[in-house]
Amino acid sequence: MKKVFWFFSFFLFLLLVSPLYSNLSSTGMVSAKPPPVNTAAELSTSSAIAFDKMMDVLTHQRCVNCHPSDNVPKQSEASHAHRFDISRVNGQGATNCNTCHQASNNLYSGVPGAPDWALAPHTMRWEGLSRIEIARSMMDPATNGNRSPEDIMHHLTEHELVLWAWEPGVDAEGKPREQPPVPKDEYIKAVKEWIEAGAIIPEETVN
Amino acid sequence: MGKKKFSRRKFIARTLAGSGGLFVGLSLTGYIARNPIRRQINKFVDEGESPYQGDISDPMLWFEVTADNKLTLFSPKVEMGQGSFTSLAQIAADELELDMSFIKVAHAQSGTGNLDQFATGGSTTIRGLWQPLRVLSATLREMLKAEAARKLDVPVSSLKMEDGKITDGSRSLTLGEVVEGVEEWVVPEAPAVKDVTEYTRVGKPVPRVDLNDKVFGAPIFGMDAEMPGMLYGAIVRSTRVGARFMGADTSKAEGMPGVVKVVLEQDFVAVVAASYTQAIDAKRKIEPKWEVDRSWTTGDIEEMITVGKGQPYVIQKNGSPAEILNADGVYTAEYRSPIGAHAQIEPHVAVAHVKGDQADVKMSTQVVRITRDQVANRLGIDKENVNIVPAFLGGGFGGRLETPIATYAAVISKAVGRPVKCFYERQEEFQNDTFRPPTHNVLKAKLTDNGSIAAMEHNVSSGAVAWGSPMLPGFLETVLGADLGAWRGGMIQYGAIPDFQAISWKVNLPFATSWWRSLGLLANTFAVESFMDELAEQAGKDPVQFRLEHIQDNKAGQRLKGVIQAVTERSGYRDKSTNGVAMGFAASTDAATPVAMVAQVSMDGSEIRVEKVTCAMDPGLSVNPDQVKAQVEGCIIMGISGAVYERMYIEDGQLRPVIYGPYEMARMKHAPKEIDVILLQGDENPGAVGEPPLGPVGAAIANAVYRLTGERRREMPLSQALA
Amino acid sequence: MKISFSINGQPQTVDVEEETPLLWVVRDVLGLKGTKFGCGKAACGACTLHINGEAVRSCSFAVKYAEGANVTTIEGLGTNENPHPVQQAWVEEIVPQCGYCQPGFMMASAALLSKVADPTDDDIDNHIINICRCGTYYRMRKAIKRAATIQNSKTSNS
Repeated sequence: MKKVFWFFSFFLFLLLVSPLYSNLSSTGMVSAKPPPVNTAAELSTSSAIAFDKMMDVLTHQRCVNCHPSDNVPKQSEASHAHRFDISRVNGQGATNCNTCHQASNNLYSGVPGAPDWALAPHTMRWEGLSRIEIARSMMDPATNGNRSPEDIMHHLTEHELVLWAWEPGVDAEGKPREQPPVPKDEYIKAVKEWIEAGAIIPEETVN
Repeated sequence: MGKKKFSRRKFIARTLAGSGGLFVGLSLTGYIARNPIRRQINKFVDEGESPYQGDISDPMLWFEVTADNKLTLFSPKVEMGQGSFTSLAQIAADELELDMSFIKVAHAQSGTGNLDQFATGGSTTIRGLWQPLRVLSATLREMLKAEAARKLDVPVSSLKMEDGKITDGSRSLTLGEVVEGVEEWVVPEAPAVKDVTEYTRVGKPVPRVDLNDKVFGAPIFGMDAEMPGMLYGAIVRSTRVGARFMGADTSKAEGMPGVVKVVLEQDFVAVVAASYTQAIDAKRKIEPKWEVDRSWTTGDIEEMITVGKGQPYVIQKNGSPAEILNADGVYTAEYRSPIGAHAQIEPHVAVAHVKGDQADVKMSTQVVRITRDQVANRLGIDKENVNIVPAFLGGGFGGRLETPIATYAAVISKAVGRPVKCFYERQEEFQNDTFRPPTHNVLKAKLTDNGSIAAMEHNVSSGAVAWGSPMLPGFLETVLGADLGAWRGGMIQYGAIPDFQAISWKVNLPFATSWWRSLGLLANTFAVESFMDELAEQAGKDPVQFRLEHIQDNKAGQRLKGVIQAVTERSGYRDKSTNGVAMGFAASTDAATPVAMVAQVSMDGSEIRVEKVTCAMDPGLSVNPDQVKAQVEGCIIMGISGAVYERMYIEDGQLRPVIYGPYEMARMKHAPKEIDVILLQGDENPGAVGEPPLGPVGAAIANAVYRLTGERRREMPLSQALA
Repeated sequence: MKISFSINGQPQTVDVEEETPLLWVVRDVLGLKGTKFGCGKAACGACTLHINGEAVRSCSFAVKYAEGANVTTIEGLGTNENPHPVQQAWVEEIVPQCGYCQPGFMMASAALLSKVADPTDDDIDNHIINICRCGTYYRMRKAIKRAATIQNSKTSNS
C-alpha cells in the first residue's frame, strides 16, 4: 500500500524537463546532499503529521499504479496488472501510453488522461515500498532524477499529472474512480510544510 | 445430396422490367424434421443435409444480368467472414464458363422475395447451395446460349463463352446483347451440370472476392450504413439478469443538446439525437426503472447446470450401458465450461426508415427472414412491406441470429418520422448477449480386462441453444425434447464400443442463451476427448491407438480414421513431453465433418502457450481450399480463446465482464506461430467447414497440459482451472 | 468549436463539440467509414488511426487534440493502385475474414513498421494488441513480416 502516484508523474516530468532541469542544476538550486534522517522523537509534531498526510496520498493507488516495481502499470482500485499486457516495453513503441491516454480524461471511453501521461521510470518504483522507503527514494537525487527538494515540491504540488489524482474521472463503466484520502489543498499544504521543514523522514512511521 | 433433382416448376425466368435484363431464379425446399422418430431426427440433424426450407413461389437464389454486361448473383446467405461469397462466385463462374470478374455476389434484400428460410449459420452455406447453384448456373448458361444462337442464327453447339461474351468464333454477343429484347425465356429441361473435374476454379485457392474492400476500408458493413437525414438512436438496456423494464424518468434527457425525441415504449426507452455522442450524452440522463426478482450469482447458475437436474433425454443409445456402468470399477470424470460471449467486434446495428406502412432496414443480420418478420409484427404491417437490406457482417458467430436491434430502430424511426441508426454500446453487447450456455459434462466408462471400453455414458447438462430460437419451428422442441444445439458434439463417436449412451439434460436459465459458433461442440468435445485420454491412460494405451480401436468400420468411421492418421503422421504425435513441449490429441465429428487435431503446448510459468497446431479435416470437396484453411485457422484461434481464456460470470445479478480485456480473449501473442492444416476429401460434395474445427481445440490443449504438468484440467477456461 | 487538421493529406475544418471522439468526426462528419467502432473504450483497437504518424485509438481521442495534426485513416494509408506495404501484404496473405477489425490492425501494424523495420515475433506480440474475433492473427503475423520485407525492399531500391 505504499505507492506514490506522483512518482510516475515525477518520472515523466523528469524525462520531459530534463533540459530545464540541467539548467536548474547549473544554477546551484539542486542540493546534492541527501535529506537528514531524524528519529521520530526528534521530529516536530507538525512535520510528522504533514509527512503522514502526504504519504496517505503518495501510497494511494492513483499514484502507485504507475510507479510499479515490475514494469507493469496497474489499473483500478484493485491495482491489477494493466490489461492487454501493457508494460514498459511498450514505452515509446508503436503501441504506447498515448495510443489510448491523452492529456485529459476521455468522457466517452473512461480512459484516464493528463499531460505527460506515462509510467514512472524504474528508478522511481514505489510499489511494495514502505512510506519511509518511498520518501528516501523520492528525495534521493540518485533515484529521483537528480532533483532538489524544491523541484520535488513543485512537482508534487503543481504538476497536472500529479494533481490528476483528484480529478481521476470515471472508469469504463462510468463509475467514478476513487480519489486519494486527503483533499487536494490539504495535501499541497502538507507537502510544502514537510519540505520547508527540511523534508525530514521519520525513522518509524506507522505505515 | 448430389443426386438431388430440381423440378422445373421451381425455376423462374423473366425479363427485368425497364432494364431489359434477365432474372433467373431457383427455389429450394428443405428437409428438416421430415422424420418423425426422435432419435433418428437427432441423427439426421447431426449428419444430414442442410436444413433449407423454401417458399415454393419464391426463388432462393437468383442471377441478374446487369447493364455492364456482367452477372450479379443474389445470395440468400450473408457474408460474415466465412468466405462464402468467394466460393459461390467460383461455383457460378465454373458452371457459366465466365471469368470470376464477370460475377458479382451480393446480398439479397428481403424485399425482393429472395429469402433464406433458415439462417446463415450451422456451416450450411456452401454445402446447402452447392448443388442448387450448379444447376441454376448451368440453366442460365444454356438459356443464354440458346438465345444467342437464335440471335446469331447459328446452332447452340457452335457457341462458347469467352471473355464474358458468347461467341461462335467469328461473331460474339455481350451478356447484355443476348438478353436484350427477349420477352419470354425458355427454361431448358435438363441442363448439363459439369463434372467437378471440368471445373477450373472450384478446388483452387482463389483470393477472396471481398479482399480489396476489406483491405482498403470500403464502407460495406452494417455499421457503415446510412440513410439521408438519418438520426442516431441510443437504447437503454438493462444491466441485470432478468430485469423487466418498468418505465423511465426521461425529463433530464429531454432538453439535452441535439435531442430530437425521447421514445418511451412499453418495453424500452431510447433517445434520438442529431449525433451519436449527443444521443449517448442524453441517454446517460435517463433514469430507467427495472424490476428484478432476484439477484443471480454464478453459483446459482452452476447449481442449475448440474447433471441430474433438469429434464433428461437419451439422444443416443447402443446396447444396455446403464447395467454395466452400475457395477464396480467404473471410471468417472466430470467437466465444466463457463458462459461464453459472442464478442464479435461490430456491435449489433440497424438503420431503419419507417414511412407509413413501409419499412427499410439496412443492417447486419444472420436471419434476414426472421428479422423481417419481427419488424413487420412489431409495426403491424405486412411482411412484404419490410425490406431488410443485409450488409457485410462484422462477425456473426451466431450472435446475429437474434436481432431485436432492427425492431428497436424501426419503432424509433416511426416515432420520429425519420431514418434512425441504432447500435449498442459494448457493455450492452456483453450484458445482453445471447450467450453460449455453461455446461456440466459427466462421463462414465468401464474398461475390459484388455483395456477396451466395455461401456460408456456421456451426460451433458446445458442451457438452451436451439430451443426458443425463432429459427426453428416450435414443435421441434416438443418432438425432440433434447436441445439439438446443446448436445452438439455430445454424441459418442466411438461406435465400436459395445454399449454406450448419451443423455442431454435440459435446463432453462434466467438469461438468454443461444447459438455460439459450433454450439455445444467446443465444450462437449472438451469433455469427451479429455475423457478419452484419461481412459487411455487407465487402459495403459497410446491415446490415438486407443481411439482408433473404438471407431466403427463404416464410412463416417473411415473418414474419422483418415483424419486421425493424417494428423498424427504429419505432426509426429508422441504421447510424452519433450524439452518442455507436449502434444495433445483430440478428434471430433460435427455435421459429418471429421476433424483431428494435435496441439503442441508449453507452459510459461502458469500460462499456457499453444505453440503449434496441426489439424486434419475432411470436409468433402473444398471449394476454396485457402478459405477452408482460413476457417480452420480461425476456429483454432477462437477455440483457444474460448477454451483457455474466456469466461462470463454473474455478480450481484450482473453478467460480467463488460469490456474486452477483463473479458479475456486470445490475442496475437496467444495465437500459435505455426498452424498446419491438412484437408482430406472423403466425399464428392462440399461439407460443413465453419464450425467443426472448433471441436477438438480445448481437449487437445488440456491433454497436452496434462502431459506437461501432470495436472488434469477439467474446467474451461483452462487458464483459470488450476486445481 | 472549430477545429482544423489535415486528414489523409487534405486540410479540413470541422465545427463540433470539442470533446467528441475523433472517431465519430471521421466517420459521421467526414464520412470516412474505414475506421471502425468496436468498443468505444480503447480496448479492441478497431478505431486505430494515425495522428502525426503515431497509432491512436480514436474512440478515446477528443477531437480538440487533433487541432493542427496530420490524421491518417485506412483510406489514406494506401489505395488499391498504390497500397501501403501493410495493405499489399494483407492482400497477398489473404488475411481478412469478416474484415471489421482489419483496418485497426493494419494501422497499428503500419505504425509498428514505421518504428521497427524488421519486427520480431516479440515486437509483434507486444505492439499488436488489437482484438480479432475471427482469429486471423496467424495470417496477420505472416503479413506483418511480409510487409516488412516489402517496405525494406522499397527503401533499398529508392
